[in-house]
Parts: sequence; structure tokens; C-alpha cells
Amino acid sequence: MSSEKTVLSPEAEELPEDDAAAGGRFARPGIDEPFDAYLIDHTYDECFQPNLWSRPHYAKLHELLSSLPVEEVQRRQLACEQSFLHQGITFTVYGKDSSTEKIIPTDLLPRIITGAEWARIEAGLKQRIAALNLFLADIYADGKAVRDGIVPADLVYGAKHFRKEMVGVAVPRGAYVSVCGTDLIRDEAGQFVVLEDNLRVPSGVSYMLANREVVRRAFPALFRESRVRPIERYPQLLLETLRSLAPPGRENPRIVLLTPGVFNSAYYEHTFLARQMGIELVEGRDLVVSDGRVCMRSTGGLEQVDVIYRRLDDDFIDPLVFRADSVLGVPGLFDCYARGTVVIANALGNGVADDKAVYAYVPALIKYFLGEEAILPNVETYLCRDPKQLDHVLANLDKLVVKAVGESGGYGMLVGPHASAGERAAFGELVKADPDNYIAQPTISLSRAPCFVDGKFESRHVDLRPFILTGAETVVVPGGLTRVALRRGSLVVNSSQGGGSKDTWVLSE
Amino acid sequence: MLSRVADSLYWMARYMERAEHSARLLRVRLEAMVSQGDLESSEEWRRMLHALADVQADDPSADPRDITFRVAFDRANPSSTLRSLMAARDNARQVREQISSEMWEHINRDYLKLTAMDFDWAWSGNPAQTFIDIGDGIWMFQGITHSTMRHGEGFDFIELGTYIERAQLVARLLDVYLSPPQEDGPKFAAPGYFDWINLLKQCTGFEAYCKVYTAQVAPRKIAEFLIFDPEFPHSVRFAVDKVQSALEQIAPGAPQTRRAACARMAGRLKAFVDFSSMDEVAAGGIAPFLASVLKQCEQIHGAVYESYISYGIEDLLKG
Repeated sequence: MSSEKTVLSPEAEELPEDDAAAGGRFARPGIDEPFDAYLIDHTYDECFQPNLWSRPHYAKLHELLSSLPVEEVQRRQLACEQSFLHQGITFTVYGKDSSTEKIIPTDLLPRIITGAEWARIEAGLKQRIAALNLFLADIYADGKAVRDGIVPADLVYGAKHFRKEMVGVAVPRGAYVSVCGTDLIRDEAGQFVVLEDNLRVPSGVSYMLANREVVRRAFPALFRESRVRPIERYPQLLLETLRSLAPPGRENPRIVLLTPGVFNSAYYEHTFLARQMGIELVEGRDLVVSDGRVCMRSTGGLEQVDVIYRRLDDDFIDPLVFRADSVLGVPGLFDCYARGTVVIANALGNGVADDKAVYAYVPALIKYFLGEEAILPNVETYLCRDPKQLDHVLANLDKLVVKAVGESGGYGMLVGPHASAGERAAFGELVKADPDNYIAQPTISLSRAPCFVDGKFESRHVDLRPFILTGAETVVVPGGLTRVALRRGSLVVNSSQGGGSKDTWVLSE
Repeated sequence: MLSRVADSLYWMARYMERAEHSARLLRVRLEAMVSQGDLESSEEWRRMLHALADVQADDPSADPRDITFRVAFDRANPSSTLRSLMAARDNARQVREQISSEMWEHINRDYLKLTAMDFDWAWSGNPAQTFIDIGDGIWMFQGITHSTMRHGEGFDFIELGTYIERAQLVARLLDVYLSPPQEDGPKFAAPGYFDWINLLKQCTGFEAYCKVYTAQVAPRKIAEFLIFDPEFPHSVRFAVDKVQSALEQIAPGAPQTRRAACARMAGRLKAFVDFSSMDEVAAGGIAPFLASVLKQCEQIHGAVYESYISYGIEDLLKG
């Protein structure tokens, strides 16, 4: 595949000394084809500098895109989509009479992060997850952080996701969060900040790997020249992580992935991970508790299970302990877990620490547990539970993003600047009625990156979800899922609401 | 192997075999129709529909186009080729991590192609070609399965499903050609020369038959070939042998009592076919013979489910 090389036409542009030395590339986004429809403003742009030159680490991509015929880009984009369709990387849209399967929108232009930027992200994520694991262990044991006044007691023990059943349960290696997906965004200065921790059942890692697969095929030469750090080891790392959590004395632990089943929107990911790790994919109905142990029903009889990587919410795990109407879980599973005959990852009750209100205290928790300053800052957050902050929020609804604390997936939120006066007033009433349930943050205009939309290169808002694994040690694969708000101007990147994704390249240096 | 996984692999294979069978019958029918008169043709359409256990088999108003649509593409007909393929793919999707990516991508592509197919367009050209393509796609899937999946227990469940289904489909097809009319059953005109050749073609057996018996078309020899030939993949005996050998491999770890129940039934069916001769079958009546094959296949299916798939936990603790 040398087609890229042959179409490259080295342009002899006179580069000013400094930018040329840095390796940037002369560009005029918003003017020159094929970037003529590209919007640049005060928002941080991943690809272009404020002086409109390309950033040095984007120069090769920019050069390639400037010389490839648009039809060729289109052909490669189509090949990506076909590949997703054939692999069944789809979600189902249920209609009146029939259902159709749609692919998760994917954009073939890679989002590129320098080695230096990544080093800071990686250190920051490891630090954060260490503190959060210590915090969770503390919540379900001594409660020191609450007693020492670091976090208000009612915020922790009154949280929707606090599980009193977890008090006193031994969690191997203190790894409450063995799989974490942390959402990062760039602020207007280009600094990575943490938007949200996902400590329960984070998903999206299969798209990270699937995107890499298709984009490497779309730009093979560019990929090789760019020296992109590999991410393909993720399934092996996940398996090692789960293995390191197995109950002691189990020589060859049996590890399974527990899925809600084929109708779950992340089902593709469950099958993908099970296949890549070579472990059984089980549903609740495949598991039974017999003699204080969890077993799976096999053709040869019952076989004991040691570690369950569950992709099922806490509520559905065990109808005897949590939601009695759950048909997805396993009666008696929690009892086995509490006795330590089986390990569940992630642990139950993690939701108390990724609550949007607890989020505001994470930098303080890092300081408290590790004695360090947070490497990755938070987004400034107003807690509506505090009357003074509530007044500020209500007076500035047009400037803020307001979120319900226990929700995820982009639901239960108001994006003030994009809402009508009526919507703001209605949401304000909701907040006043139950202030404890809301937080607010300034509208941060997520950074933008080039995307291929309708035959043009346009800028779209992006975030970044890296995945952090914690077992015997903590590892972060260099990359993550870059989610894209594909609708022009939109800041919502969730796939349930019109978002797509793209490959993320972390460069070697 | 998880019982649920075994269940899905088994049904994936059965539905694939069923889809391929209906596509093949349609193809032969559509090709033969071209050189048949209306009366003769409608009799053969009716025979085909009975072989497929179609509920509207005796509807006199249906024309070939309606029938083809109903048998192949009608989403409202649970046994249409399309619905069988959809069911096979649904089962494959539920065990996506157990089958090879090559298998999944092939079945998924066939599914996408068939669901997007425009029937009017398919009918307007050479409709038989559509069914050649569908059948080829399914054979390719079966070939990919052989070449890319581990020949372990999952594969044995696929073999079991394929050949239990095939034994039943062939037995039903033979029944509408070979059995004398029953009091309460459908009545057909006696098959003519071309109908016998078409029967062989519907079993992909014309050429194979000629190699064994030469091109001499004799109903009794055709019956003998399609029931007893040990080497022809669409004979009843071949399918029954495969069922038996698949069952020998399945669930090696299961308690002996459970394995014995299945082995006994499969052994009985194999002996029943092995130790019958065409003379005996002809003397005792071909209809009861085929009916017994069908019934024993059902019993094997039931025993497999009871032993390996839907067993109660209490039964298991008893041993």
C-alpha cells in the first residue's frame, strides 16, 4: 500500500524560521481547500495553532489530507464503515414493525496526542485511580475521610449508589475499580482536565480497538511514519488484571465475562472482549450457586467460576440482595462474593465515588490519601447543595452546564447557553426542588479536531476516554476512545445522543 | 462448554440447513417449471410445499410467484428461507465469541444481502439464480465452519444440528414422492420420469446416483440410493451416521448415565437404518419407515436437551 506516498506532493513553501523548526505546516483553515469549511475560533483546536499553522504533530496528517483527492478519502471512509457493518459493530434501532442495525458512527481521521502530553495524562490517571481506590476502601471500612471532614457524610452515605451491603466485604488488592474509563477534555488553554470518572461499568474499549484496526488500514504509511504507540495488548492486560484478582489457592482460575445479553447496547463489546481474552461469555441464566460456590451450567455439568468480569449494573447482579425483579443476575451471587469464593470486578458500590457531587472533592481526596497535588485538574464545579453556590448557579443558568449527580450518558442535564429561556426556567425549578441532586460547571468548549463530514474536513468537538486497569499493578494503554460530537456545534459526545468516535494516536515521542 | 452456547450453535446449524434446503428445492422447482405445462407444474409446486410442511400447501389460487415469495422472502412466514437465515444469524450473534470471525462475517454479509434484496428485481431476471446464490452462500458458510473453527465440542453440536435437520428434511421430501397416498393425507399424481430426476436434483444427487446406478431412472433404486447410500451426504443413512458420531464426541465430561441415554437412542436409529434393506422397507411400507426415522430424530433431540442443555440442577446433584 504505497498509494499515499505516490500522491504526496512535497510543497515548497517558505516557512518562517520558528514554525518551520518546530515542524508545523503552513495552512489556512477556513480558506484553503479542502479545509475551507473548517471553523476556527477561540476554542482550542487539536490540529491548528492560533496562528493557523498546523501543530507540528499534525503536520504529516495535514500534508496527506491536503494532497489526497476527496474521492479517495471518501472511499476509505466507506471502507471503514463497511468493515464495521460486516463485523456487526452495530447498535439496534427498534422500529414499529422491524428493527434495523446501525453502525456506530466512526470518523477515519486520527486524533493525535504527543508523547509528552500523554506522559502527564498517564501519571495523572494513575494518581487519581489510586486515590479513588483508597477512598472506596475507606468508605466501606473505617470512613476516615468522612470523619476527618474531607467529604460530607451525607454525600457519601446518602448517595444513590452507596451499597451498605459492601461494608466489611474484602476486595482483593483493594482494587475496587479494576477497569476505569475516565473522561478527559481540553480546556480553552489546551490543558487536559477531568470531566468525569466512570468507576462502575465503563464501556467503549472495543471501539478504541476497532477504530485502530480500520484506521491503520486506511492510512498505513502515515501510521508507520508517525510511530504510534500500540494499544492491541489491552485484552491481554485485562486478562492479567482479572487473573491477579482470583481467590487464593485457585491454580488455574476460571474467569468469565457476565453480560446482560444480546439486547444490551454494548453486547458487541462483550463478545469482542470474551473472544480476545479466550474466556467464556456468560449470562445470568448460565450461572447457578451450588454449595456456596458460583458455577456455570455446561454440557458436562456444573463448573466452578472464580472471577466474574461483570458488565451488568450493581442493581441487577443478584435478585436476592438488590433488585428482586432482575432476571439478568444470579440468585445467591452476592453471598458468594461476600464470602470470597468468587471475585466480581468491578467491585459493587463503586458508584458512590463517581457521583458528580463527590467528583468535586477528588482533588482533596488525592491530597488526603496520597499527600500529592492532583496532576490532572477538575473542571470547576458548583455544588447546588450549598445555598450560596445554588444562588450563583440559578443566577447564571445561561452560562453553565447543570447536571443531575446520579445520572450518566448525557441524561438529566442542561447545557445553559444552548437552551431556550423556557428550558432554563423549567430546569431551574427542578434544581430548586432538589438542590442536593445537582451540580453545575462552566460551559467548557471542548477542543475541536478535524473530522471528515459530507466530503469536507470540518472541526468537531471531541473528548478522550482512556482506560485504566488495576490489579497487581495499574496500567493505562496509550490511547483511548476519542468521542466526537458529530453534529455541528454540538458538545454532546455520547453515542446515545448523536456522538461518534475516532482513533486516538499517542506518538512515541 | 456452556449449555446455552451448545443450544445456540445447534440451532444456528439447524436453521442454516433448513434455509439451504428450501433454497435448493425452490431452485430445482423454478428450473423445472420452465419446461413444464401448467397442470404438471402446479402439482409439483404442491408436492414441494408439502415436503416443506407449508401450511398453505393446498391453496389453489397461489401462483409460482406468490409461492416463491412466501417460501423464500416472506418475513411473516416463520419457515421462509429469509426467516431461517435470520434465525441462524441471531443464534450466531449470541455466540459471537465462540465461532470464528470468518464464520460470523460470512453469515452477517449473507444476512445483509438477503434482507436488502428486492424480490421484484430477483423475480424479473432468472429467479433460479437467486437461489443458487443463496445456497452457495450457505455451503460456503458450512465450508468456512469446517476450515476455521476448532473441531471441538462446539463443532460437534453444529454437526449434530446440521445432520438431525438434514435427516428430517430428506425423510419428509422422500415421503411426498415415495409413500402411497394416505386416507387423510395429501394426494398427488404418481411422479413421472422428470419428477424422479428432480427428486434426485433436490437432494443434489443426480450425478452421484448415476455414478452408482448409471442413468437408469428406477424409483426403487432412487429410493434405495437416497435412503441407504452410506457415502452420499444427502442420504438418510449418511445423516444418521453423522448424528451418531457427533453424539459420541459431545460432552465427554458428562456423567455416564446422561451420555448413555443419548448414545442408546442414536445407536438404535443407526441400527434401524443399517439393518433395514430396501426389500424390507418396501414390504413393511415406506411411509411407516420414514415416519419412524422422523420420530427417532425427535427423540434424540429431546434426549440431548434433557442430558446436556435444559437439565435441572437437582437432577445433576443426583448424579
